Amino acid sequence: MLKLKGVESGYDLLQVLWDVELEVDEGEFVAILGPNGAGKTTTLRTIAGYVRALKGSIEFNGKSIVGLEPHRVSRLGIGYVSESSNLFAGMSIHENLLVGAYTVKNKQLIASQVDLVFELFPRLHERRNQLAGTLSGGERKMLAIARGLMPSPSLLLVDEPSLGLAPIPTLAAFEALKQLSQRGTTILLVEQNVNTTLHLVDRAYVLEQGKVVLEGTGPQLLSNKDVQEAYLGI
Amino acid sequence: MVTTSTTPAASAAQRGPQRLGLIAAVVLIAVSIALPFVPPFTGQDWQRYLVGAALIAASAVAFDFTAGYIDIVNFGFAAFMGLGGYTSAILVNTYGISPWLGFPLGALTAGILGLLTGLLTLRLRGIYAAVMTWFVALALLGLARNLTDVTRGPLGLAVSPLLATNDNLPYYYVMLGILIATLVVLTLVIRSRVGLAFRAIGQNLQAARASGINPTVFLVANFTISCAFAGVFGVFYAHYYGILTPDVMGTSHTIEILAIAYIGGRGSLWGPAVIAFPMYIAVQLLKVQLSSQPALYLVIYGLLLILVMLYRPDGAAGVIRSLGHRLDRRPKSGAGPAGASATPTPGATA
Amino acid sequence: MTTATATNLKQVPLLRRYLNLTSAILVVAAAAMIVVSIQNPSLLVNTLATGGMWALMAGGLALVFGVMNIPSFVHGDLFMVGTLVALFVFTPIQSMIQDAPNDFVLKWLGPFAGMILAFILGAVIGVLMELLLFRQLRRRSREQWVMNTFLLTAGLSIMFENVAMMAFGNLPQGISRYWDVPPIDVLGVPVAMDRLVTFIVAMGTLAVFALFLQRSRTGRAMRAVSMDETGAQMAGIGLTRIYQLTLALSCGLAALAGAVLIWLTPFTPTVGASPLLIAWYVVILAGLGNVQGAVVGAFLVAMVQQLTGYYLALNWVDVLPTGIIILVLLFKPSGLFGSEVKGVWEQ
Repeated sequence: MLKLKGVESGYDLLQVLWDVELEVDEGEFVAILGPNGAGKTTTLRTIAGYVRALKGSIEFNGKSIVGLEPHRVSRLGIGYVSESSNLFAGMSIHENLLVGAYTVKNKQLIASQVDLVFELFPRLHERRNQLAGTLSGGERKMLAIARGLMPSPSLLLVDEPSLGLAPIPTLAAFEALKQLSQRGTTILLVEQNVNTTLHLVDRAYVLEQGKVVLEGTGPQLLSNKDVQEAYLGI
Repeated sequence: MVTTSTTPAASAAQRGPQRLGLIAAVVLIAVSIALPFVPPFTGQDWQRYLVGAALIAASAVAFDFTAGYIDIVNFGFAAFMGLGGYTSAILVNTYGISPWLGFPLGALTAGILGLLTGLLTLRLRGIYAAVMTWFVALALLGLARNLTDVTRGPLGLAVSPLLATNDNLPYYYVMLGILIATLVVLTLVIRSRVGLAFRAIGQNLQAARASGINPTVFLVANFTISCAFAGVFGVFYAHYYGILTPDVMGTSHTIEILAIAYIGGRGSLWGPAVIAFPMYIAVQLLKVQLSSQPALYLVIYGLLLILVMLYRPDGAAGVIRSLGHRLDRRPKSGAGPAGASATPTPGATA
Repeated sequence: MTTATATNLKQVPLLRRYLNLTSAILVVAAAAMIVVSIQNPSLLVNTLATGGMWALMAGGLALVFGVMNIPSFVHGDLFMVGTLVALFVFTPIQSMIQDAPNDFVLKWLGPFAGMILAFILGAVIGVLMELLLFRQLRRRSREQWVMNTFLLTAGLSIMFENVAMMAFGNLPQGISRYWDVPPIDVLGVPVAMDRLVTFIVAMGTLAVFALFLQRSRTGRAMRAVSMDETGAQMAGIGLTRIYQLTLALSCGLAALAGAVLIWLTPFTPTVGASPLLIAWYVVILAGLGNVQGAVVGAFLVAMVQQLTGYYLALNWVDVLPTGIIILVLLFKPSGLFGSEVKGVWEQ
């Protein structure tokens, strides 16, 4: 479904990604792990079109998406949930969801999608008229994911849902992602929380200094010596 | 802030362009002193253009001192000029003091109003400050129009001349002196530690605050200095042209100064001074040639301002600077990239 | 016990929200207006009519700042373009009306032709501005964006004014009235038809504008862009289209205001200067980028103007609001309705 080959990318004076190869198949739940500054977020931003790839190819369903503007990428069915959520602070939860469904023209479809995400996140339903700017950190993350789900994307990119969250909301966020995956959404997750993530996902890539250094299924990586030493503290 | 680094390599690389700049400055000053003796500048009409050019050059330099360094557009610059002019004119007319005494007094009133305006607006975001200075200017303009007992309103206030002559030449040398003094004083301020703070604030307010600079103090100081200079130029304007109307404070006068400052190159001080002469004189000639279309020159100002903002944000100074580097680099190619970064280009980062 | 503290916690910010300088000023203003309108009802009529038009100007100005971060200095010149369109469209219609005084459709609906065309031309100019100027600047650099766009619009403004001066001269050209009918009696006060229509058009346009921003898919997208551009892009909103629409709408509204108000402010090249100033007064008073606040502020400023003109003198109309704004900014630097949330239509 998604295929990155030899992707190099970065910002004005700083190249971050040097050679990223990864692949996500339909229905899979895949994670990108790695230390701070390894280029995990940049990888997602490059796929989503916010950072332009300097080299390499990014294919989605067999078509190149390099150089597309972010909103075009989004319209192809790639949802992106950023680390800072990028919510519309002055709008209610419900309105945030409606903007999330901007590309959906069918009103009935929007309504059923709203029901669906409220079912997934009952807490958002309770507060649907509250302004997004007044939500707690955990609620924000849920709303960000919920908004990303509104156009029913075929692939969801999620950046560090655990960032800045207490352990309980983190678990809730992971639980929501697990449910989503079980319902058939393809997810590419970026995380620092290695242990929990590896127990959750089908496969994972380990990114270091802008390169993929390891890949494997969850259990494979959990039993890998390097991973244990570097990330699990064993 | 490569400009202030004192490593030997950097200062060696800096010496080249700096020496070139010094030579250019001396040549330009010599040319501007000799200019009235070179035809066609020997005629009174042409010498009047020269006086006007020197006046607007000085105004644009003082405008650039705030716009180019602390990134605040003083949209009421002309009104501060007008305040200085009216102060001097009224005092000279009422108390019979010498017009020369008007200079410090005009600078004082314009500076004080600048200080108050600065204290009020410079805590706010840049755009608030620009718009508020505009409001203050319009309020001043309204006062000048309405307080007819003092200003005679739109009828205009007759002002006694600065010099006991109708010849434009002595006026030119007075204004040229003021221009050179303005350039020297403001350049020295910019090169000092205070100037470093200005540039730091103009480029990144948050970072400046984090490094222990109290931005408001410097912002207000800069704004006050610029307004006081505006007052001085206003005094010259009043006693040179011999009549003051509220129009001198108008927004279009400010925009004329602003256009020259930006076309000359923001954040350079010398750029606006250098470009003011050819531009002002060209515009005056155009006005004479096309007296049926008195508005045309403002269209040209507007168009040039737009083009500069879009395609050459560092203005004429930027163009001259890059030419200078090319000139400087040719003999010894070793000074390449260090030389390029050693020239101060604050505000011209865009 | 727990429910009691919970309600208390909710009530404290509520109290602070309503017992503050802003509401005090609004209450004083409302009281002043009531007293004045008993004494002199025509002041109230004028406040409502002009206030509505200033609201269209200020609303558009606030919208462009909220969505695109452009502090427009050229907004008043679109007002000027509006008066020009009205002049050129209505003058032939007027002679048609004189030729056929019994054609009621023409007589009653003819004047609207100029207003509609003014809106359309304003919108077209807005789109061209985005294409030719702001998009080019955005492509080159977004550094010092606010100041650079301010200067761009200042340059554009001089061009508009002086091209208009070269083309149409310096003399005022206007329409004394759109509807040549006797004043209408509204609650015992005779109101000229033009004033009444001005008020109705203002209210109608504001209502449509508000509904559009709050309820429509595109209006919501505009607000989304003003709050978080990245978030909007994630939702598949193309920024370019929203920018174009924003400028079209804002410039169209300014031109519409010019066309509607030509009976009060005849065309001159600088006729837009005063509406621009007023719109900026309003926007600074209300808080930059806040459309809802700008609409309320417009009526406040219109009232101050009417009162100043009536009790002091017309010359002071531009001086007094500056004093008031300076006072407000001393106490509330973010404006009367400004808040931390950046958006064009706060709830």
